[in-house]
Order: sequence, then C-alpha cells, then structure tokens
Amino acid sequence: MTDGPLIVQSDKTLLLDVDHVLSTECRRAIAPFAELERSPEHIHTYRLTNLGLWNARAAGHDAELVIDTLIKYSRYAVPHSLLVDVAETMSRYGRLRLEADPVHGLILVTTDTGVLEEVIRAKKIAPLLGVRIDKETIAVHPSQRGQIKQSLLRLGWPAEDFAGYVDGQAHDIALKQDGWKIRQYQEHAAEGFWHGGSGVVVLPCGAGKTIVGAAAMAHAKATTLILVTNTIAARQWREELLKRTTLLDEEIGEYSGAKKEIRPVTIATYQVMTKKKNGVYAHLDLFDTHDWGLIIYDEVHLLPAPIFRFTADIQSRRRLGLTATLVREDGMEGEVFSLIGPKRFDVPWKEIEAQGYIAPAECIEVRVNLTEAERLSYATAEPEERYRFCATTRTKRNVVEELVAHHAGEQVLVIGQYIDQLDDLSETLGVPLIKGDTPQKERERLYAAFRTGEVTCLVVSKVANFSVDLPEATIAIQVSGAFGSRQEEAQRLGRILRPKADGRGAKFYSVVSRDTIDQDFAQNRQRFLAEQGYSYRIIDADDVFQGKF
Amino acid sequence: MEIRSYTDYLRALDDAALISMFNHRPDLVTPVPPDMASLAVRASSAPSLARAVDALNKWQLQVLEVCAILPEPFSEKDVAALTEKSALFVIPGLIERGLLYTDKDGLRTPTTLKEVLGNEIAGLGPASMSKLKLKKLDEVPAPSKKVLDAMVWGPPRGAIADIKKPSVGVQWLLEEGFLIPFNQQTVVLPREVAIYLRGNTVHRELETSQPSVTGSKRDMRNVQLAAIANITTFLRWTEEVLNFWAQEPATALRSGGLGVRDLKELSLHLGVDESCTAFVAEVAYLSGLLTIDPDDKILPTHQFDIWLTQNASVKWQLLASAWLSTSRVSGLVGKEGSKNVAPLGPELDRSSATTTRRLTLTLLQENSQIAVDIDSLFAAATWLAPAKRAGGLQKDYILWAMREAEWLGITGQGVLSSYGADFLTGGDSTSVDTDLPKAVDHILIQSDNTAIAPGPLEHEVAQELALIADVESRGGATVFRFSEGSIRRGLDHGRTGEEITKFLAKTSKTPMPQPLEYLIADVAKKHGKLRVGNTASFIRCEDSALITQILGDKRLDVLGLRKIAPEVLICGHDATEAMNILRSCGYLPAAEDSRGLLLSGPRIQRAQTKARPPRIIGEFERPDEIQIEGALRALRTGEKSSRKQSTMRNIATEALGSLPRSTANETLELLSDYLQNQPTKSLSIGYADNNGLVSHRIIDPLKLSAGSLVARDHATGEVQTFRIARITGVAAL
Repeated sequence: MTDGPLIVQSDKTLLLDVDHVLSTECRRAIAPFAELERSPEHIHTYRLTNLGLWNARAAGHDAELVIDTLIKYSRYAVPHSLLVDVAETMSRYGRLRLEADPVHGLILVTTDTGVLEEVIRAKKIAPLLGVRIDKETIAVHPSQRGQIKQSLLRLGWPAEDFAGYVDGQAHDIALKQDGWKIRQYQEHAAEGFWHGGSGVVVLPCGAGKTIVGAAAMAHAKATTLILVTNTIAARQWREELLKRTTLLDEEIGEYSGAKKEIRPVTIATYQVMTKKKNGVYAHLDLFDTHDWGLIIYDEVHLLPAPIFRFTADIQSRRRLGLTATLVREDGMEGEVFSLIGPKRFDVPWKEIEAQGYIAPAECIEVRVNLTEAERLSYATAEPEERYRFCATTRTKRNVVEELVAHHAGEQVLVIGQYIDQLDDLSETLGVPLIKGDTPQKERERLYAAFRTGEVTCLVVSKVANFSVDLPEATIAIQVSGAFGSRQEEAQRLGRILRPKADGRGAKFYSVVSRDTIDQDFAQNRQRFLAEQGYSYRIIDADDVFQGKF
Repeated sequence: MEIRSYTDYLRALDDAALISMFNHRPDLVTPVPPDMASLAVRASSAPSLARAVDALNKWQLQVLEVCAILPEPFSEKDVAALTEKSALFVIPGLIERGLLYTDKDGLRTPTTLKEVLGNEIAGLGPASMSKLKLKKLDEVPAPSKKVLDAMVWGPPRGAIADIKKPSVGVQWLLEEGFLIPFNQQTVVLPREVAIYLRGNTVHRELETSQPSVTGSKRDMRNVQLAAIANITTFLRWTEEVLNFWAQEPATALRSGGLGVRDLKELSLHLGVDESCTAFVAEVAYLSGLLTIDPDDKILPTHQFDIWLTQNASVKWQLLASAWLSTSRVSGLVGKEGSKNVAPLGPELDRSSATTTRRLTLTLLQENSQIAVDIDSLFAAATWLAPAKRAGGLQKDYILWAMREAEWLGITGQGVLSSYGADFLTGGDSTSVDTDLPKAVDHILIQSDNTAIAPGPLEHEVAQELALIADVESRGGATVFRFSEGSIRRGLDHGRTGEEITKFLAKTSKTPMPQPLEYLIADVAKKHGKLRVGNTASFIRCEDSALITQILGDKRLDVLGLRKIAPEVLICGHDATEAMNILRSCGYLPAAEDSRGLLLSGPRIQRAQTKARPPRIIGEFERPDEIQIEGALRALRTGEKSSRKQSTMRNIATEALGSLPRSTANETLELLSDYLQNQPTKSLSIGYADNNGLVSHRIIDPLKLSAGSLVARDHATGEVQTFRIARITGVAAL
C-alpha cells in the first residue's frame, strides 16, 4: 500500500483525491487515457473506457504506460483483473487499419487474419466492404469510412485510420495576437485537437471556445465551415474571428436563413442546414460541394440528427466539436464521439475558475411555498400539465421581483421556459423580453443595449440558452426550464461566467416550487453543475423577502 | 495369473511391506478386507489397479508398461534392457505398490493390470506365436519396409484390401511371419518385430525426469499486493452475493442449481463475468454460507451472520479450504458444449477435480518464485499424472484451478503469495489481517450528493451507510450516492431524519453540503404521513356509538381491540375467532372480505434449514498409521478364522458328498486358476437360480469378466453366462 492520490475501483472508475500533493501530477498522467466523469470538491471521478484506452493507443501510449501509471499513483493494490483487462483492450487496437490505396481507394488491412475473418462476417460490416484483395486486405467503399469505423468500434475491433485527411483548399489564416494572448489551455486544446486529427474539445462556458476554433483554423490554414446554433451566434463568431485572426471581412461568409454567402470561411446555422425543401435537405450539400479543410461544430451537444447522419459521410475532412456540456438526456454522447471524434481536451470548470478565466459563481436555489389554493390545484392538475403549473406559479413572480430589486444596478438576466410566464414577468418588472418571435434586429439591438449597460435587466426565453455573449451579466434568475435538462442549467449558468472587469463573482438563482415536481427536476438539472463542483445553497423565499441572503 | 500365487505373495509379505502398500493404495483397507485372499482379489481388481496406476508418474508408468509386455516371469535385467539402467530404481517402487510381485521364478504382474493399461500397451501388438528370424528384418525389401515403417510405432493393426491378395510388401512380411493375419482385412505386427524395429526399446523417448516448470519473474512485493487485493475483492464479492440473495432470494431450477437469468443478474450486480460469479456463489455454497432451502429458495444461512463477524483471515480460510477440498468444478459453468451445467446444481462433480487442483497447487508451491507458464505447468503435471482415467489430465481443470487460485488470492499475478503458501501448509493466515488496508472510519461528502469512503469502511459505518445510500462504485474505496429512495430506505429502517444528519455530520470529514441536508429533511418530513400496518381482522361499523360500546365492553378485552378511526377497530385475532367471541357476547357481526393488505419494508431472509454443503467425491483420504495398523491386525485375524472355517466346511462337505461349497474368494481363485492353466478336466459348480434353488452343473470356464463367468455348460452344450455371486461352490472333477 502506498499513499498515492488515486484509488482504482474494480468497476474501472478512478477516484482522484484533489487535496493530495500529487493530484495535479497524477491528473496529467491519467488524462490521456481516462475520461473525466465528475469533478466535485474533493474527489474527482475518472473512468477507464474502451474508447478512452483506444484513444490513448492512437496517441501513442501503450498499455504498459497505462498500467505503470495506475500502479504508481494508486493508493491501494490495483485489481489484477483490471490490469489484464486494460492490456487486453489496448491490444485490440490497431489490428485493423484503414489505409488509402492508389487502386482501390480505401482498404482495410489487418495484421491478424482471424480478426478480419471475424469482422467481415459481421452483419453490419459486410455491406460496407468491397472486394477481397488478399488474405489480409479488403477494399472499403470510400464513402463508408465513417460508418465502418463506427461499426468496427461497436464490434470491439477499432480500426486505426491511416487514410489521412484531405487538406482542403488552402487559405492562409493566422492568429492576430495584438493586445491579447491565447491562453495556455486554449493552446493545449487546439494542439490536442490538431494532433488527434479530429475530435471534441470540452471547455466551460465563457472560457473562450471561439479562440480554440480560431487557433485550430490557424493550424489548418484552409477553408473552414463553421456550424453554429443560430444567427446571433454566427454574428458573434464573425466578430470574434475578425478581432482574433488575420481574416478580413470579405473572407467570412454567413449562410443562414437571411443570407447565403459562401466564402473561404463560412458560418452556417444548424437550422438552415436541416431545413427541408420538398422533403429533402436542400442545404446539406454545402458540406460536400466545397473542399473544406476543416469543419467546426459549435455547441456540438446540440447536433441535430440529419447532421449526425451526414457527418458519417465526411470522415476524410477534419472535424472539431466544441462544447461545454457534453451531456445529452437522450444518451447520444457516444455518437458524437464516434462521428466527430473522441474527446481531445477536457478540464474541470473549477480549475479554469481558479485560473481566473471564468468568473466564480454562486448557485442559489430559492424555494417558494405554494399557497394553499395553488397546492390544491397542483394536486388535481393533469400529469402532463403539472410541471408547467408549478413552474409558473404566481408566487415565483414576487420572489423574482424582490431579487431584481435587490440586485438593482447589476446586469440581470431572467430566464424561463414558458412564454406566458415571461410575458407576465416582463410586464411586472417593466423590462424588455427576448423570445422566439422577437425579430433578429430587435434581438441584436437589445443585446447591444444590455452590453453597454443601457438596459440592466432582460427577460429571455430559451433562445438565449446558448452562444449569446453577454460579458457583463452577473446575475441570472431562472424561473423555469426544460424539465430536468442538465445541460440547459449549465448553459444558463454559462451566460454569466465571463470574467467581469472588476473581478466580481456571478450569482445564479434558480427559483423552485417546494414539494412539487419542479423540485425533483431541479435536482436533476443541478447534477451536472454539482458534479463540476458547484455547490448549491438552498434558501427560503421568506429569506429573500427579509433580505437575509 | 495365478491368483493363488499373488495371494501367497501377499501372505508372505511382512508388516512393513504391507503398511507401505496400504500407504500407497489406501483403497485396499477401505473397508478392511476380511482376509488375505480378499485383499489379493481387491488388490488385483481393475478399479484398484487403475487407481494405483493413476498415482504413477510418467517414468514409473513407462517402466510398468515395459513390465507388462514382457513374457512372465521376467527379471529386472529384462526391464532394463528395454529401457535404461535407471529403471532398476523404479522397480522396487512398483513392487511396493503391489503392481509387480515376485515369485520363485522372477517378476510377475497381476493379470488385470494388462487390461488396465489397455489393449495395445505402448502401441504394441500381441507376441508372435512362432519363432521369428528377426535378423532378416535388416534386409527388408523396399515395399515391405514401407509397411513396417507405417506400423512400427503403433497402432499395430493395419488395414489391407484382402488377405488373399496381399500387396508385394505385405506378402513378404506375411510369409516371414513379420505380420500376422488378424481377419479378412487386418494384419497385426507382432510385438517382437516392433520392439526390434524400435531399436530394442519400447518407448520413443524415455521420460525419466519431470520437465521443468518455466515462467517469468515477478516482484514479490507486487505479488503480495495483488494477492491482498484479490483477497479483499473476493471477500467483498462473497458478501455482496449473499446480501443480494438475502434481499431477493433466487429460486433454484427444478433440475437443481442456479438459472442462467439469475446468474446474469448476479454477474451484473457484481460487475464481473459469469464464470467468476458462478465461482463466488459456488464457494459460498461449499462453505455453508448459502443453501437451497426446501422451497427451492437460494438463501444465506445463519452461518453467514457468524462469518460476517469474523476476522478477514478466518473468513478467507473458510472459503479457501472449502475450495481446496471440493470435487466440484465451477469452471464447467458456461463452458462451451456444457451449456446446461448450472452453478449450485448437481452436475458439477468431477472425480479428478480435487487431485488435479492439488497437483496444480503443489507445482505452484514448488515454483513459488515465478509466474508459471501454463504450458510448462501442464507438461509437468502430465508427467506427474500421466494416466488419468477420464481422458487424461484436463488442461481446462488446471487453467481453472489457476484462475480460481488467483481470484481467491492464493496467488497474486500468477505467483503463490505468502498467504497462499501459509494456507497450503496449514498455517494460520493472520498475516492477511495485518496486511489488509487499514479500515477507515470516515467518509467525504460532496455537493453532488455522493459520499466517498476512501478505503475499506469499518463494519458498523458501512452497514449504516448501506441503509441510507446506494453504492455506486466498489473497490478499494466505496462511492455512495444519496437519493430520495435511499434516504427513505433509512427511514424505513427506523432512522429519523435527525439521526441520519447527525450520523453523516459525525462520519464525514468534510462539511455536510446544504442540499443534502435539505434532501434528508424533505424526505423525513414526508415519510410516515401514511401509515400501513398488519392486522388479523378489523371491525367496522357506521354507528360510532356501537364502536365505542364494543371498545368499552370488558368481556371483549381478550380481542385486544384498538380504535384507528371513529368507525374502525382492529383486532389481534383472526376474523373467525373475533366473530365467535363477538357472537358469544350477544353482538351480531357479519364477515367481510378483506383485501389489499400490504407488507412493509423488504425483509432479509435466512434459510430455516441447516446448511447442507454438497458431498465430496473423489480420492480416498490417506489413512493414518494407527488406522493402517488396525486394518492390518483385523486382516491377520480374519485370515486365521477364514482358514479355519473353510477347513471345517471341507470336512463337512466330504462327509455329506453334496454340492461343492467354497467361499467367494476361493471360487474366484479356482476359476482364475482354471483359466490360467487350461487343464483338460472340467469343473463342477453349484449354481443358484432366481428362486434360490441350487443346481449342479458341469462346466468348462472360458472367460471371467465383470462379475460373470462365461463357460460351456456340459448339460446343454451351450456357452452360458454364470453370475459369480450365484456360484455356491466350485470343485475340480
């Protein structure tokens, strides 16, 4: 028994004691092969997954190194079976290779004919293959490169992809570091991505994911397609790129509902890409008709299904996914990894906070009591109406009013799900509202006014969940949400995480009805942030009215 | 063989020689035979000889094979000539075991031994009847040489198209007598020819010494660490399995054992594969911690509760010893081709399991510094035990024994750990207790509603936590998660919200996060608002005055009534009884159907029967010296009395002139003697029919096998089978 910081569990989770002197060193050592699962205050949880181990192999780490690291830092004896399993899993990688071939285009080569025989007999694989060239080689339809990689992964025989990436049409892009400097973690992230070829970078909201994208473009020096969630985000990307890179205004195009520009760097919205015209996706060929050297997926956790399918077909292009919260309530995280690429960079939110790149935030859950009458009608409400009912109770309005009054002079966002409730709040508070049918121009005007401080309080619907850059917002009040969505909660907190000029901390209020389903959903919503080390404080609505918080 | 001579040989042996023979072959004195003749019969019976042969190593077996093919009597020199000089050192051992014996002419083998060794010992055919000119073999014509080359190392039979039209090569060999026609399409190579062609030897290679076990070096410190990790894990698994079934007992299959689905579920719960799960369950079963009760429920026994309170070393020893001595092979579960073998079921017994396991462990003990290479271990094991009956030594069994030893922590990284070594040499395993990671008494609670015990938890703390939190991850540490459900479980077990908070605050090294405090308070607040209970019957009346009257009626005190609502009373007696009492007091109740009574809370169950671990089959235990000496005394006494008896009987028989009478052993002796020497005279026997009537037959014995005698009956002239047990006596005519 040593006194290491790591406890290796038999279910392949690794528990890292962050208060241990060796914890930083250990974190660095295990990061290449273990995936960070949770990072609360004291003990961080990593997990050894097949995918993670194979990625480590792809990055040039062998099983011996993994095993040595585990043994070196482990506090207790490492279960032998786990070590054997690690070695076995890692040895599965690389028995199959995808290679480019001058005659057949793409071929699958093996060093172990048994494995090849096994996989070509698999039902899912057979239709993707072409002619058998010799005992160790078989042709693959080049368009099925993504499909076959995905299917092989599921079979447990991951193929090492040597077929490389197309360079795309060259276009000179460089970072323009005048008056600012790329942060170390951003550089690591961009480099991690570049060496891996394709993959996902996970960074907290407000930690500057756009810069990572820009740095990746500077590595690629090629035409780039950027996919973003909405037009606002597209404009923000554009501004950021103009500011941070050598790109000029006319080199950046916007491809959205309003404009259809195709330039060396084109920013398209998911919405336009998935728009159907006469039953077909009219714009999806944007992917194909141009020789992109890099495709960036912003907020990759929102990737819509048609783009999923299409992404499988463009495996020869470099892909970068950016996100803060790779949790999907539909459990499709795995698909993201296999189509875009594995996680290349992930860092606990609290660590970035400690470095001062995101604002420290305090999360407060305000519990509101329903009135007797409300309780009764809640109890008798139809099950599908229940959440809506308790999330929009009138008692919440009073609390919000009080909170806004308390934070007068600070930049406040009130965020909610239900438009009626938001309309009502906007009216009561006398502040503007941004919702789905607010025109684009009006939205931009309001955001701009908010940034300059002309408007200090905004009521927003879920349109502001993502990619809206409001640097000076310090207070967010959430009144209702999309049920138990963990990533929505995190994204909303993300709106106020940009470091403030005066170093002030941010405050995130979540107003919840006590003893209702609202409270249950809130608990689920908070899980992601709790796992990132954000500790919620619970206060009572009465405390708010008495100013005791 | 002359049984008589073997019996005489045994009679002539001194005590020391007999004792050493019994030491080698414990089955000879289990049970103690009545006299020397019986001993001789048993010692030369096929099953006993097979056991004795099983205990030989490869070199001993080779020498014995050579002895078996030599024409009897033979000398030690004859054996050495066909093997090598060192065979001379082996022969005394074979004699000691009673596999060879001496008479005045030289060495002999018990006849049945040839059967035990197989029809074509070492691939050799029968001896030639005629004298052969073996020198001629040096100048064999080419076509014949080809034939000989194909047959020389066995099998000694060769198929040809037709004996009447042999090929040139065969023709020559047949003419010279180097091949013997066997039937229309088969020829046989005589023993002498094969031995001559083999270069005056029998075996291609003489395996005079045990092949060495190879392997790779391991750092002993790591081995110990790995072993202790294995031990900890195994104890944890066992506890998990039993607790799992205590909550929800699995039901045994009708054919016995655990069903596939239950096994899968359990394996999922443990997070290990099914073969390992089956092993853990089997070991718990063998140790009596688990039993299948008369209702076919698989349940932990009371033994388990005792086991839980013991030290790790004692716990472990119980499990490991059960494993060491069992004849059950849990590796068979889920093995391809044996799909239906269920853990805890009746089909896992294999007679060679214990010996193979012991053999494996012995080899591990002898090579305790290296992680052995399995092939070399197998080679060594095969040398040590070459002649296993059921298809030879099973490599699978050795693999499984190694795997199981690793799971149990007898080995670590494939090397025998000091715990394993102590255990196998019968020492106590207290070092296990000292080397286990120190138990911790605290947890770390985090804001995501998890708590982490950064090491093995003290028993009480662990039990308490298990009540109020769900285990999310196990291993060196334990990760607990608090949820509404888990807190409720704690409350169901009688904890109050305050107690839980207090306990956590005391146990946690980190401050308690506020959301958790709220969670506990919230659940506690809601808990118990609804009350559910059991009652034998209820009394209901819309007239609350009558209810009050009943409650006040002194005569009804026996019912133990309690008012739970203005119009409802509950009663401790069942409905029929309550009605009778009410009626006797002048009330007029009517019965009401009651449904939907709920039972609260999961109950941990225990089997009501005693543990019945499965019996162990397999080899005989070696008796100790006192037992052997006792056996010998009994034998010598029996011998004296049985002689006296048979002499008395003979005198009586002569006087009466009736049917021949002899003891069973004498009968066998006489029959074997007859078959051996083939005298011209016939035998007279008394033979009992189905009704017990004894008739007198005159027979010519032909063959003795499996408790029957095949003989030609003079009366009918037909060949008939006689059951030996029914032969009342034999006499030569």
